[in-house]
Amino acid sequence: MPRTVGIDLGTTYSLIAYQDKREGRPKCIPGPYGTPLCPSVVSVDADGSIIVGEPARRRLLTQSERTIYSVKRLMGRGPADVQDELKIFPFRIDPASKNVIRVRLGDRVFTPPEISAFILRELKSWADEYFQDVVDRAVITVPAYFNDAQRQATRDAGRLAGLEVLRLVNEPTAAALAYGLHEQKRGRVAVYDFGGGTFDISILKLISTTEGDIYQVLSTNGDTHLGGDDIDNALQALAREELSKQGVDLAAHPDTVQELRKALIAAKHELSDAAKTTVKFPLPDGGDAALLGARQKTVYFREITRAEYDRIIRPIVDRTMGPVRQALADAKLTSAEIEEVVLVGGSTRVPLVRSTVEEFFGRRPHAELNPDEVVALGAAVQADILEGGVNDMLLLDVTPLSLGIETMGGVVAKIIPRNSTVPASAQEMFTTGVENQTGIDIHVLQGERELAKDCRSLARFQLKVPPGPAGLARIEVKFLIDASGILQVAARDLRTGEEHKIDVQPSYGLDDAAVERMLEESIEFAEQDFSERQLIEARNEAETVLQATEKALAREQEEAPGDMPAEERHALNGAVTSLREAVAGKDYKRIRAFVDVLNQATMPLAERMMNRALGAALEGKNLGEV
Amino acid sequence: MDFSLSRPKPHRLKPVLLASLLESDFMSAPTTTAATSATCANCSAPTGGAHFCPSCGKIQPLPRGTDFFSFFGLPQKLTVDLEQLEQRFHSLSWKLHPDHFARASDDERQLSLDRSSLLNDAYRTLRDPVARVEYLLGLAGMRKEGQKKQQAPPELLEEVFELNESLDELREARASGGTAAAMAGLRAKLEAAQHKFEASLAAVDQELARVSAEWDAALDSGADETASRKLMEKMNEVLNRRSYIRNLVNGVRQELAES
Repeated sequence: MPRTVGIDLGTTYSLIAYQDKREGRPKCIPGPYGTPLCPSVVSVDADGSIIVGEPARRRLLTQSERTIYSVKRLMGRGPADVQDELKIFPFRIDPASKNVIRVRLGDRVFTPPEISAFILRELKSWADEYFQDVVDRAVITVPAYFNDAQRQATRDAGRLAGLEVLRLVNEPTAAALAYGLHEQKRGRVAVYDFGGGTFDISILKLISTTEGDIYQVLSTNGDTHLGGDDIDNALQALAREELSKQGVDLAAHPDTVQELRKALIAAKHELSDAAKTTVKFPLPDGGDAALLGARQKTVYFREITRAEYDRIIRPIVDRTMGPVRQALADAKLTSAEIEEVVLVGGSTRVPLVRSTVEEFFGRRPHAELNPDEVVALGAAVQADILEGGVNDMLLLDVTPLSLGIETMGGVVAKIIPRNSTVPASAQEMFTTGVENQTGIDIHVLQGERELAKDCRSLARFQLKVPPGPAGLARIEVKFLIDASGILQVAARDLRTGEEHKIDVQPSYGLDDAAVERMLEESIEFAEQDFSERQLIEARNEAETVLQATEKALAREQEEAPGDMPAEERHALNGAVTSLREAVAGKDYKRIRAFVDVLNQATMPLAERMMNRALGAALEGKNLGEV
Repeated sequence: MDFSLSRPKPHRLKPVLLASLLESDFMSAPTTTAATSATCANCSAPTGGAHFCPSCGKIQPLPRGTDFFSFFGLPQKLTVDLEQLEQRFHSLSWKLHPDHFARASDDERQLSLDRSSLLNDAYRTLRDPVARVEYLLGLAGMRKEGQKKQQAPPELLEEVFELNESLDELREARASGGTAAAMAGLRAKLEAAQHKFEASLAAVDQELARVSAEWDAALDSGADETASRKLMEKMNEVLNRRSYIRNLVNGVRQELAES
C-alpha cells in the first residue's frame, strides 16, 4: 500500500515522518547515519552526481564552491530580493537569473526548487528504504509567513522530487498538531517557532467539539528571513572583524570560511548550556586545509561568555518580538490571555530566546517535545488526516498576508485580509475604461502596505474582452486562496456566461512548462540504487578520514615524536586496520561505524596538534618555524 | 527579423474596481431563487439549496449569488449570536473542509473548496458587526462610499483642524530638530487628540449598533420599503463617518509610533 509521509523541509535540517498506525502516533524516519536530521545541504560532484545531507555538509569544508546550504532562503525570490543575503551567504547566483534565481554549483546551474528537490529526493529514499516500498505522496511544511511565491516554489520542489504534494502545512500549525495530540490540551496557545532561517509566531485556539478537536489558527506573523543563521552570521562578522584587525582576510579562502562557520556554530551550541566557551580555530597558510594535518601558521583563539553572546544576539532575538505583538493584536488577545506557549525550532534552545519569551508571556514555555522533530511529526499527522486515517482532528489555518489588486494610481485594494481562514475567496467585478479596449490588466499582490510598489507582486494577467463601448464589459474574477495558502484565479464573463481561461504568469516562480522541462531533465539524475549510493559515499568518507589520519601521524612524528601513548597508538592502528577491512566489503553501515571509531581514536591526536599550534601562536611564534 | 517593435502595444489600463464605480448594478442580484429549485447532480433529488443532498448525501454545487446569511441559514438581521455563529462555523467546517475531500473526485473536491471558502468568507464577515452592516448594504446595493470622503463630519471639524495643526508643528519640529520639551508637548497634544478620536470611534460604533437594532426591529414589524431604505441610508452615512474617524485614529497612531 502506498504510504503518505510528512516532510519538514527546513533551512538547516530536513526530516521525514509517518503516522505509525499500530501505535497511533507519528514517528520520524532515521537516515543512514541513524539520525532523522538530514542537513539541508546539497553538493554537486565533479562527475555531476548529486550529494545530499551529511556527506554534502562535510563537503562544505572541502568543496564549498560546489556545495550549498540554507537554500530555503532563496525559495520564491527574485535576484533583487536576495542582495542582502548575498553579502553574508556564499550563494553564487548566476548573472543570467531573471525572475527565478539560478544558483551555480561547480559548473552546473540550478533553481532553488531543483536544489530543494534533491533534499526531498534524499528523504524520500530514506522512506522508500525504511518501508521497502515506494512513497510518493507527501505533506510538506512551510513557514507560516511564506508568501504565495515561496509556497509555489516549495510545491514545485515536491513535484520535481516525484512527490504528489497533498498539502502545504504551516510549520507552527503542524507543531501545534503534534503538541496538542501529545498534551491533550485545550485553550489558547502561542507557538513560537524560531528555526534555522525563518521565524513564525502563530496564535491558535484548541477547541473540543462533538466531532473532534479543532485547531483554529487565529493569527500568524513572522519573518521568513530571520533565524539561527543570523546568529551564526553575527558571530562570524565579529570573528572576521577581529581577524581583519590582525591582518587576516578570509575572503580568498571560502573553505576556511566554512571551517570558521562550523567552529562558531559549535560554540553557539555550547553556549546553550555552558556559561562560556572557547573558539579555537586554525587559520589558513594558503596550503592544504584538510580535516587534520594541515600546517597552520596561527590560530584564532577567542573566549565568549554567555553575557557577551547575549549582547551580540539580543538585536536578533528582539526582532522576533515585533511579529509576536502584531500576532497577538490581530488575534485581539493580550499576552496574559495565552494559556500555553510552545517553543519550536532549533534556535529556541538559545537561553536568551527562552528567557525573552518567558518574560513576555509571563509563563514558562513548553519544550517537552524535541523542537527539531515536532514539525515533521505534525506534518505526518496531517498527511494521515488527508488519507482518511485520523478523522477526529481538523486544522483551520489562515493566510499570513493580505491579498490585494492594484487599482488607480498604484494603490492596492485589499480583497482578502491577512489572518483570514483558508480556503478564502473574494470576487471582484471588472470593466473597461476606454472604448474598444480589448484587455484588462490585473496585477495581484500580497502584503500590508498601501502602494503596489511596496507589496509583493504575485502575478499579472490580462482579461480578454470583446471590443465595445467603455464600461460595457462585465468580468467577474474570483480569487481563491486554497488550504495550502496558494492563490487560484478564475474569471467569468457575466454577459456571455463564459469561463475565461487565465494564463497567470508568476512574478517570481516557475511556470508549469518550466517545471515540466525540469522534470524531464531530472531523469538524468535518476536515483541510483539507495544502498549503492550509500556505499560510494561511505567509502569516500572513509578514504578522507584515512588520509587525514596518515598525514596527522606523519606530522606528529615530525613535530613531537614520542608524544603518543602506546595504548593510543594501539587503538589507532586497530581502528585503521578495521576500517580498511570494512572498505573492502560492501556494507555501508559497517564502514560508517568504523569511520566513527577511527574519528574517536584520532581525537587525542587532533587535540595535541591543536594545542601545539595554539601554544605556538600564543607565544607569538610561527608553528612552521618551530 | 524582430517584429516585436512594430507590433501595436496592447491598450493598458489600470483595472477598475467596479464595485466602487457601479455599485448598485451588480451587488443587488437576487439571491436565493436558484438555490431552492436546485436538484442533485448525482441522484436528481431536489436539494432545496442544502450543502449536501438530503437523499444521497453528496456535496452540492454552490448556487450563484448565495449570500452569507442564507449560507448560515440566518435571516438578514444585524444582531447575531456570536457563540451560536461560531458553533455553526465549526460544525460546517467539519463537513465542508477540503481535508475531508482529499480522496474524493475532482468535482467534489472543487465543490468542497467553493463551499468551505464561502463558509470562511461568510464567517469572517458576519462575526464583525461593521463588516456585517457593510455586507448587508452591499447586498441591497445601498453601500455608497461618500464622494465627500475627505470631508470631516461637522461635529469634528474643530478637532480635525487642531489635529492637523499639531501634526504640522510636530513634523516641523522634527525636521528642524526641536527641543525635547517642545516634542514632548506636541506628543502630549497628539495623545490627547488620539483619545478624543478613539472616544468618537466608540461613539460611532454605538450609533451603528443602535441603527442595526432599529433595522432588526423594522424587519420584525414588517416595515415598508421606504422605511427600510431610510434606515439603510442612515447606516451608510454612519459607516462613512466611521471610516473617516477610523482613518484619523490610525493616522495619529502611526504618527505617534514614528515620533
